[in-house]
Amino acid sequence: MKATKTLGHSVKAAVLTTAVSMAIAATPSFAKDMTISVWAGGSNQSDSYRADAIEMAADILEREAAIRGEELNIKVEKKLFNDGWENFKQAVTLAAESKTAPNIIVTSHADIAPWSQSGLIRPISDYIDQDAWPVNQIYGNLLEIASYNGQLWGLPQDAESRPFFFWKPHLKAIGYSDEQIEGLPEKVKSGEYTLYNVLDDAKKMQDKGLVTAGKGFSPRVSNGPDYWQFYQSFGGQMKDKESGKLIFDKQAMGDMYQFFVEAAKMGVTSKTHLGGDWNQWYSEVANGKAGTWHGGTWHYNRYTGKEGLDDFFGNIQFTLIPAGNKKGRANTITHPLVYLVSNTGTDDDAAIAAELIAIASEPRLNSLHAIKSAHLGIGKEQANVGLYSGDQWASEATERLLVHANAMPNHTEFGQYWQIMFKGLEASWTGQKTVAEAVANVEAELKTTLGDNILIK
Amino acid sequence: MSNENSRNFKSWPVTVILSLFSVPILVMYLYLIVDTFTNTEPGSLIPSEFTLEHWRFLWHTDPGAVSIWTATANTFIFASVMTLVILSVSLTAGYALSRLNMPFRRFFLGGVLTLHAFPTVTLVIALFIVLQMVGLYNTLTGVILIKSALMLPFGIWVMKGFYDTVPWEIEMAGVQDGASRFMVWHKLVLPQIKPGLIALGVFSFLEGWSEYVLPQIFTPEADVQVLSVYLASLIADDQKFDFNLFKSIGLFYVIPVVLLYLIFQNKLMNIYGGGSKG
Amino acid sequence: MRQRIGLLGLGFMTPALIMVVVFFLIPVVMTGFFAFTNMGTATGVSGGEYLLTPKIIKHFEAGDQFDKTTINALSSTSYSVSDAALAKAEKAGLKKKYLQEIGKRLNGKTYAKRRDFIRDLKKLKSRPRNQRALIKSTESFSQSIINKRFETLEGFKIALQNTGVDLQPVQTDRVIEASYTGWVWTTENFTTMFNKPDTWFVAANTVIYVILVLAFNIGFGLFLALTTFYLPSGQSAFFRAVWLLPRISPPVLYVLLWKWLTWDTGFVSTILGWFGMAPYNFMLGSVESAWMVVVLINGFVGASLGMILFSSAIQAIPSSILYASEVDGANRWQQVRYIILPQLRWPILFTTSYTTLSLLTSFEYILLSTEGGPGGSTNVWSLEAYYTALNNYSGNLQYGYGAAMALVLVTIGVTVSLLYLRLFKFDDLVSRPRIES
Repeated sequence: MKATKTLGHSVKAAVLTTAVSMAIAATPSFAKDMTISVWAGGSNQSDSYRADAIEMAADILEREAAIRGEELNIKVEKKLFNDGWENFKQAVTLAAESKTAPNIIVTSHADIAPWSQSGLIRPISDYIDQDAWPVNQIYGNLLEIASYNGQLWGLPQDAESRPFFFWKPHLKAIGYSDEQIEGLPEKVKSGEYTLYNVLDDAKKMQDKGLVTAGKGFSPRVSNGPDYWQFYQSFGGQMKDKESGKLIFDKQAMGDMYQFFVEAAKMGVTSKTHLGGDWNQWYSEVANGKAGTWHGGTWHYNRYTGKEGLDDFFGNIQFTLIPAGNKKGRANTITHPLVYLVSNTGTDDDAAIAAELIAIASEPRLNSLHAIKSAHLGIGKEQANVGLYSGDQWASEATERLLVHANAMPNHTEFGQYWQIMFKGLEASWTGQKTVAEAVANVEAELKTTLGDNILIK
Repeated sequence: MSNENSRNFKSWPVTVILSLFSVPILVMYLYLIVDTFTNTEPGSLIPSEFTLEHWRFLWHTDPGAVSIWTATANTFIFASVMTLVILSVSLTAGYALSRLNMPFRRFFLGGVLTLHAFPTVTLVIALFIVLQMVGLYNTLTGVILIKSALMLPFGIWVMKGFYDTVPWEIEMAGVQDGASRFMVWHKLVLPQIKPGLIALGVFSFLEGWSEYVLPQIFTPEADVQVLSVYLASLIADDQKFDFNLFKSIGLFYVIPVVLLYLIFQNKLMNIYGGGSKG
Repeated sequence: MRQRIGLLGLGFMTPALIMVVVFFLIPVVMTGFFAFTNMGTATGVSGGEYLLTPKIIKHFEAGDQFDKTTINALSSTSYSVSDAALAKAEKAGLKKKYLQEIGKRLNGKTYAKRRDFIRDLKKLKSRPRNQRALIKSTESFSQSIINKRFETLEGFKIALQNTGVDLQPVQTDRVIEASYTGWVWTTENFTTMFNKPDTWFVAANTVIYVILVLAFNIGFGLFLALTTFYLPSGQSAFFRAVWLLPRISPPVLYVLLWKWLTWDTGFVSTILGWFGMAPYNFMLGSVESAWMVVVLINGFVGASLGMILFSSAIQAIPSSILYASEVDGANRWQQVRYIILPQLRWPILFTTSYTTLSLLTSFEYILLSTEGGPGGSTNVWSLEAYYTALNNYSGNLQYGYGAAMALVLVTIGVTVSLLYLRLFKFDDLVSRPRIES
């Protein structure tokens, strides 16, 4: 009896050993030297963990391999691009066409759709276990954002959201009490405080001389996902769930354009605000030279760092982007960056790249990036990482904003739609066209360029 | 007519008007120099302190960034190789167009003239594909070839202009002495067009040294970055905006240009005039 | 002899020909071709593959070419374990033991999603322990072609047949057409271009830009040439050197200096600040001031061209004529008007034509300064083509459409150049070589 049991054990052990050795045989067991390159777009020095985390993951993976008895040497080549998304995407796309794209690309999730069609990226779901740590603790909605055509293409690298900001001292000066300021986020959420209230308050601030003319409301100075928030504020939807088509809601878009035209007409922002200088903008909003504005959660870093704002929470109130009218809702957009595996190199390279991405997405590693760059976490377990939970901004912003955030759709034609939408906004805002003309132009252009990829309402 | 004592008019009003118009340029370039060694309080134009901190880029490179010396070396390689290519190619082609009786001569000349004034930058997409096919995307070689090719019609045109000024008698004499046309070109004509060679060479070098759009598109990788792209991406980086630093790098970047210009001023004039000698 | 000279000439031309053909003419021709494609980020450049995606299926659903059953069959992504699938897997080289275990424990099962299948496979002892290998081992159990890339049409057709979905030839063609990921020929770029209101706006901007800068270049170049002509030589050399600075400075630096001059933290605002004016960003502050700055930036560079050309033409005027006029009591204006200007007709014409072409196609200074802003108001055709084809925020690079825009410029450029050739008496330029003839 005892003998058979031992025998059974040893058989099991033997099976196990063969299985293990087979598994090892499946991955070549000789010393392996690989180079994995990472390019991160829109990243400055404070975003360095977008690439550094991959390097740290490589170290872990090497150690894991060593324990299995393999020799794996991974050299990680890192590159951060900070001279605009335009140049980054140009570089990546052209490099990919010439088959020299980096193995790992950190970019906007909106690139997944076109890049997956052209075969520039490989679905990460072919390489990693979605049911295993750490993927199984990543927020479902973020994974959803990284998916397209029923496949998971990458892992979210960070999350963020784009709040509306108010300069507290100015609010007080136009008659807000401390309680009212504290209650503002709720009033915004319920739709009671709308975008037009913002304009009124901004006007009051200007009239009182708290800020100079045109600085009562200081929107983002360049194109960005932010402007879709205002479309949503007026009841617009970007994509139709049923048909998978994009939606152009004429009414909502017109109302959105109208809002900025009104703002310029009231003088709380200027007609030529778009195209302004970012540095100047940052220094204004972080120093009380603007009354209300909208930005991103990562701005926290810039305000409290370079711009020297010591007491962020004492001076700034943040809320969702208020609703514009009854049809719309208060909202915020999260525009997560994703780690993508490119089509460069062999399947083995891609497998290693995918593993590195998975390791880099572990809560502790991701928290390093989240806190250093003032972004938000990607996984539930980050609440259990001291660094993350101990950070007031990260936890408050997650609670107040991220839970309500939605994302832009992944759709091959969304990029075009976006450009056209923004051109219309520019044209009406600067007064080159009336709102009605701009909307008609956008409609005409969408019809000619997107055809039946878009529903026009 | 540099005659100050002209009877009917004085020259000082002209000096005053011209000086007024020149103020923006003078101010820009004066402060280009001043600001690199000093700090100025906001709202003032008088420097408040002397400092060398704006020049730290010379010995300190931020992690992840390209060293200024790498970029300088790349720029130098880019500009000088490009110059060599343009010179050697237009040297022969210019002669052929100016002096040699060959088939399609008219056609070639017309072609050079048309391309001379051609919208080159509109070709970037196709150029990228050509580069990719020959495997030279993201290499200095690739962008050198492209920039040289795009400048060639101009270079050939200029060289032809210089050849045109060489007296026929020199060549006639050589041919009558029994030398081959090649020998005549090599021994007798080439020495005559040295000034043209120098002028085109310096001009090409300056063009290469300053070029921004082509390297930006065709060599995005850090290790092949040239100074223009280096400086432009620094300016585009909204995290560390610092006019004085940019100006220091800019001054560092422009010094070779100014030196070359001062030395070869007179020769360059011919070319800045549109190479319209012919 | 003549033959040999011809060969020598061609030999001398060859290096130039090769370079010009490869990096100049071929790209021109390619631009012509690309203009008639829908090439872009999503289609890639080097040709396409065949990929049927859920998105395409959704399009089919919206149309009426496919009935519900066909669509369901086509879009099924199910995995089923059957003897046939096991045999296929064995052929694909999967380990026998693993397959036996699958056969024993999972035979007959069907999974709607790969993930569910993998979950079950993970319970097997003999499974590949490497995640990638495990995922790959599922391939033989699927007949779906959804989300699978096929490099060749043949491969795709076979796979389509293997799905067992019954398709009519028309439907098959439709599936193939829709699944192709590469670019296709089209004339849509041009219809879009003409129907887009934005096109005309940018075109108008381009015209404004060319006219304003041209006027500045010629006018101011003329002014510089005349004034420096009348100055003592020391002074005139100084001013000419100053006005050449913008020309020889690298554009990146030159535009940086303009930013410093015109931004609200810059020189002009600081000076105006002393008189109590609020800081103002002239480069981006308003449409008018942006245009002014763009024209000045380009104009300051271009004025030197006119200056040099006109100067040398003026110097070519025999000084005796000028002296004579002075003796006759002509004032300066009369001298300029009646003696100098008539001599400058050709240089002015030349500079005008040369500058027009280069302005039409140059965008470097605008790209570096206003980037076409504020709000697209200083955007010009060549810059828009560059943005469309290669450089925009959403990363949606439309090579085809960009090439179509470029082709318009190419056409204008070539036509205008040919006109110039006639205007400037091309035949005079092609004086015949004298030695052999």
